[in-house]
Amino acid sequence: MTAVISTNEVCRYFGDEEETMVKAVDRVSIEIERGEFTAIVGPSGSGKTTLLHLIGGLDNPTSGSVELSGTNIAEMSGAILSDFRRDHIGFIFQSYNLIPVFSAEENIEYIMLLQGVEASERKRRVAEMLEQVGLEGLGSRRPNKLSGGQQQRVAIARAMVSHPEIILADEPTANLDSKTGIALLDLMKELNEKHNMTFVFSTHDDKIMTRAGRLIHMMDGEIESDEVK
Amino acid sequence: MLLLKLAFRNIFRQRRRSLLTAISMAGGYILCTFSFSLSEGSYNNAISFFTLDHTGHVQIHKEDYLQRPKIHKTIDDPEQLSEILDSREDIAAHTLRVFAPGIAYSDTDNSPAQIIGVDLERERTTSTLEQKVSSGSYIGSDLDSDGYYSAMIGAGLANSLNIGLGDELILISQGADGSVANDIYIVNGIIGNRDSPDRNTVFLPLVAAQEFLSMYGRVHEVSILLNDEGDSRSEASLLQEELQDLSVAPWQVVESTFYQSMQTDKQGNNFSMGVIVFLVFVGVLNTVLMSVLERTREFGVLKAIGSRPTKIALMITLETGLLASLSVLMGLLISLPLIGWFTAVGFELAQPMDVGGIVMSHMTGEMSFYVFAIPLALIVLFALLISIPTGIRAARISPTEAMRST
Ligand SMILES: Nc1ncnc2c1ncn2[C@@H]1O[C@H](COP(=O)(O)OP(=O)(O)OP(=O)(O)O)[C@@H](O)[C@H]1O
Ligand SMILES: [Mg+2]
Repeated sequence: MTAVISTNEVCRYFGDEEETMVKAVDRVSIEIERGEFTAIVGPSGSGKTTLLHLIGGLDNPTSGSVELSGTNIAEMSGAILSDFRRDHIGFIFQSYNLIPVFSAEENIEYIMLLQGVEASERKRRVAEMLEQVGLEGLGSRRPNKLSGGQQQRVAIARAMVSHPEIILADEPTANLDSKTGIALLDLMKELNEKHNMTFVFSTHDDKIMTRAGRLIHMMDGEIESDEVK
Repeated sequence: MLLLKLAFRNIFRQRRRSLLTAISMAGGYILCTFSFSLSEGSYNNAISFFTLDHTGHVQIHKEDYLQRPKIHKTIDDPEQLSEILDSREDIAAHTLRVFAPGIAYSDTDNSPAQIIGVDLERERTTSTLEQKVSSGSYIGSDLDSDGYYSAMIGAGLANSLNIGLGDELILISQGADGSVANDIYIVNGIIGNRDSPDRNTVFLPLVAAQEFLSMYGRVHEVSILLNDEGDSRSEASLLQEELQDLSVAPWQVVESTFYQSMQTDKQGNNFSMGVIVFLVFVGVLNTVLMSVLERTREFGVLKAIGSRPTKIALMITLETGLLASLSVLMGLLISLPLIGWFTAVGFELAQPMDVGGIVMSHMTGEMSFYVFAIPLALIVLFALLISIPTGIRAARISPTEAMRST
């Protein structure tokens, strides 16, 4: 069985000159199987965000390759890459990044709209997702009328509604108080188990990382350790 | 649909800025339609003023009579020509005229005068001569019981010769055959007032003038009124093809001085319209750029979660197009009644204005499809033009960069 995520000696360097060059991600090779709940941890600047962006096809590697379900994403660009992200990857960001002029429901609906899902089906799935993330009755609110935790729940719903194989979350709890953060992570874990979706998230937080099924430690762009619990 | 909703909400997100932009576009639109309407209106008034007064829409002469009038350059078979003109659908009316300079005498005084012989019946339907009779009546072409023809004279001439209705008028000129022409006429009508362009003109019945100038059956000018002024040039060239040995000219050629100054003036108007559109353009550019810049992160996110770059560009174009359309619509709602009033009622000028040599004291506008459509197309087009490069720029935003910028 091929891994859902597989990176092969992937590197991402910033800057051209030898002395000033930053090796944000350096020769990282990892394999992540379907349904894993993986945390990438490490100090600030260790390359967590860069690695997640490489995996998500938001950034191009300097060298090496990233394969998602056997497809090399470096070979894609433009609309094809956009469509691939839309259909196979869900993103959750540290600062939620909902569309401010859309209500919670519309934020969740948006990706399905890009996918051309039928209206009745969209409605059904939006309602289902709102229920799963515990936001029944708040669907018509705009992001600025929701708390941070609630906004991040909407973001989770948005990332999951199109049933992608992979959910990438960059410090999803960093802007939340620890109680809310833990609750949110438990929700992610629950959805991960229920739908057998592959989750990769980054964090600083010790309490959060203990909930991961696999811990990848990064340091200066390299993998320091990789432990499965 | 959601894209349209998104565009709509994004417009209302920065209410104040969108409103200011909308006002500048609507205001620019109103200014453009108004100046367009004013220029078209005043020129159309001027055009219809002199075409109806005497020029007509198309004129026919012999050779270069228009540039170098000579008494012997005559149209020799006006009756046959009249038949041709009467049979043409586009022609509303036409009239026949002869011209000669002369000296007018009364018992006590004399004065130079322009003598014009006109086909009185045809002139009625072709020019406003009949309406210009300020006292007496529009004369007939018959001899009176004493054997004299009637004449109508300009009010200026009546004044300088010190004569009035019923008085005798003696005209002296040179006939087409070189002989001295002189005859007596009875003044039965006064034309205009002492400021009219015809103040020193003597109008005679066509036959009387032809007899006087020894040019029996011949005329100098045929002036034609069309059903539609806009056909002047095309009708003139059609007629020219048919009438090889005569010269046919549209009013644009006959009144070339006016026409040239009108064209120059219109270019000036186009220039000021260009300036207005440019100012609007700068305002819109500013708004669109700002709204894209401050949403860099948002576009990054939209791209990250799978919006195609083209969709992002389309979104910006849609937003700008929507804002421009709404603004212009708002402008239209104001300019429609404004220009309606301006066309129907107009206003008196405090100071009479010279429109290509014709002095006008009452301004009215022109209400036509183009008056509204051209500024509309210009403004919407320019707004879209701005949105395209800006949209492409937004579409190119790299999600990683966007996410890094806070
Ligand atoms: N666009 C860029 N240009 C230059 N250097 C960059 C760029 N993006 C990242 N870096 C550098 O790459 C390194 C890794 O950054 P990255 O954001 O991946 O770290 P991180 O582990 O996510 O840190 P944090 O915990 O603070 O979010 C850092 O030294 C950073 O300064
Ligand atoms: Mg980071």
